[in-house]
Amino acid sequence: MTFRLISLFLALLPCAAFAADDRLYVNDKKAPENRKDIDALQAALVKALPQARSATVCIEIGEGSGSGVIVSADGLILTAAHVTAGVKKKVTVILEDGTKLQAETLGLVADTDAAMMRITDPGTYPFVDIDRTNSTRLGDWVFALGHSGGFDKQRGSVVRLGRLVRIANSTFQSDCILIGGDSGGPLFDLTGQLVGIHSRVGQQLQVNMHVPMSEYVKNWDGLMKAEFIGEGPFAKKTEKGNGFIGIATEARAQGGLRVTKVGNKCPAEEQGIKVGDAILKINETPLATPTELQDLLKELSAGDEITLELERDGKMENLTFNLGER
Amino acid sequence: MNANWIRSVLFCALATPLPGQQSLESIYRTTGTAVVAVFETQRAVLQTSSAVILEGRKETGYGVVISADGYILTKASEIMEVKAPAVTVDQVRYPEVKIVAVDPAWDVALLKIEAAGLIPVVYAPTSDVPQGTWVVENGSTSRTKRRLMAGIVSAQTREIPASGGAALGVVLNIQSKALEIEEVNEESGAKEAGLQKGDVLLEIEGKPVKKIEEIAEALKDRKAGTNVKITYRRGKDKKTAEVRLAAKGEMFTDQMNRNDMMSGKFSKRRSGFPRVMQHDILSDSTIVGGPLLDLEGRCLGMNIAHANRAENFSIPVEDLKALAERLMKQATEALAPDKADTPAIEAMD
Repeated sequence: MTFRLISLFLALLPCAAFAADDRLYVNDKKAPENRKDIDALQAALVKALPQARSATVCIEIGEGSGSGVIVSADGLILTAAHVTAGVKKKVTVILEDGTKLQAETLGLVADTDAAMMRITDPGTYPFVDIDRTNSTRLGDWVFALGHSGGFDKQRGSVVRLGRLVRIANSTFQSDCILIGGDSGGPLFDLTGQLVGIHSRVGQQLQVNMHVPMSEYVKNWDGLMKAEFIGEGPFAKKTEKGNGFIGIATEARAQGGLRVTKVGNKCPAEEQGIKVGDAILKINETPLATPTELQDLLKELSAGDEITLELERDGKMENLTFNLGER
Repeated sequence: MNANWIRSVLFCALATPLPGQQSLESIYRTTGTAVVAVFETQRAVLQTSSAVILEGRKETGYGVVISADGYILTKASEIMEVKAPAVTVDQVRYPEVKIVAVDPAWDVALLKIEAAGLIPVVYAPTSDVPQGTWVVENGSTSRTKRRLMAGIVSAQTREIPASGGAALGVVLNIQSKALEIEEVNEESGAKEAGLQKGDVLLEIEGKPVKKIEEIAEALKDRKAGTNVKITYRRGKDKKTAEVRLAAKGEMFTDQMNRNDMMSGKFSKRRSGFPRVMQHDILSDSTIVGGPLLDLEGRCLGMNIAHANRAENFSIPVEDLKALAERLMKQATEALAPDKADTPAIEAMD
């Protein structure tokens, strides 16, 4: 018993000492008092920005776009659950310089908005350190980065400076103003350490909420294992078999399925699929009977991306789109 | 601006109090009085070298004082909407304001008030400062005292292309084989030039146009705020007009997206600028036109648009200086008695 306590104490000590050393002194003033204080804030921010920026990414997922931040050299990314919206999904990640990379979503925490993903293209990526010791305090100066409104190479990601104005169990609030597209982007302290992930905003400009790092640290193993954790407003568990295209089909003598009916307001209609078109393959799987199509859809969920090989008037066409929700 | 972010925008949450929370008193927040107090020397510059543009008692804009004898730069499209503008500099109210020159591409107007001994801004040597650099601008103001807001340079300096491209501002009748105007947008240059429903477009800059795509092609590389010469047919007459181009996305505002909806107010004209620097100053108001100061109190630029809740645009100091010189030259030439009719000057009392 005594032994365990001591080892724990020793383990914590270097972290605490490190945090105290690095902490910007202005954070411990109620407000900056003079030119030296505001110069110190600016100098810390300017110094921390390049690395923070190089690790900040834009995430393109379906028709949406959000932000995220790389936290390991092999491409682990932290973002928000309402950005990934599900586990094991394929997404595209864009680095600050415009490089596009393939990635896969890992786990998420549906009730606090935490989520993780991983770049699947092999490589060594710029990354930031995360605050594992929950060192941020009320009133600390923080900065936000994010691809506000989507990726814009000429502009780059947008930085905003503010203070941590509220702390609750699973939420930070800052006065760094966020907007659509910033979702999942990083909130840093002035040493460039990641302290939160952008989650949501209020109608007032001053109300900007972030998921604290402690939520990620607490759920790290589950996030790495691509688990869907918790229930809540930020992500809905997908059920296998609840996705649909919106067509009725019959087998064709020469192979494939002939479309006999197209529903209203369904993915098939949006994609312009017409009665008489023939579906030869879905996700590379050849289809010969309507039952095979149904079996294939049973293994997929609403929102999953499918690629459909279509024959119309003798011409072949590939359509890629997301399944609707039944 | 990229429009592909629509689905995964931020959750718009109601600001319900968080349980078990610690909260920072509002005076210590970034815009709080205890924090902005540290910028008193920059505030003093706003007091003497920024102008407040008033319509009656209502603030409608700010301006940059650029000469001791009363020349002031401000945002053109906003002062044009003020019927009888007055200006306050420091504690003095100037009831007579003349708009002596306008640059439509930058959306900047040069104003003249009858004053002497004003303190013009001192231009910063360059706008090329690192992102994260402190900047200070006008906040709400009382009759005698300027307040300030502070923030940082927040993105790369760049061109902001006209949202949706530069357009005439007309909707064409798709049933008609000719390019027949079905509707003229109320905010458009077409409206100002007197185009009407039923007019048929024939030429742009002397080049015949027959299809909608040819109009798009003719306007492709043109900038919002510049004029094009249009030839059109009304009844049996063939007419010409100079039409001011404007950003399509700003005339047809039904194209408002979710970011606009969560932004509160934003500037009507917020795109189609040759070059802007961006800052993050937290502002509920769309009032722009004032100077953007650095910590030395020097003018780094002039605020030209509050684009959305997170993005504000300023004209960088290099461009602002060149613009000021050009407009001053135009204005002094126009004021010379023998050239009183020089075109391109829009004077009003």
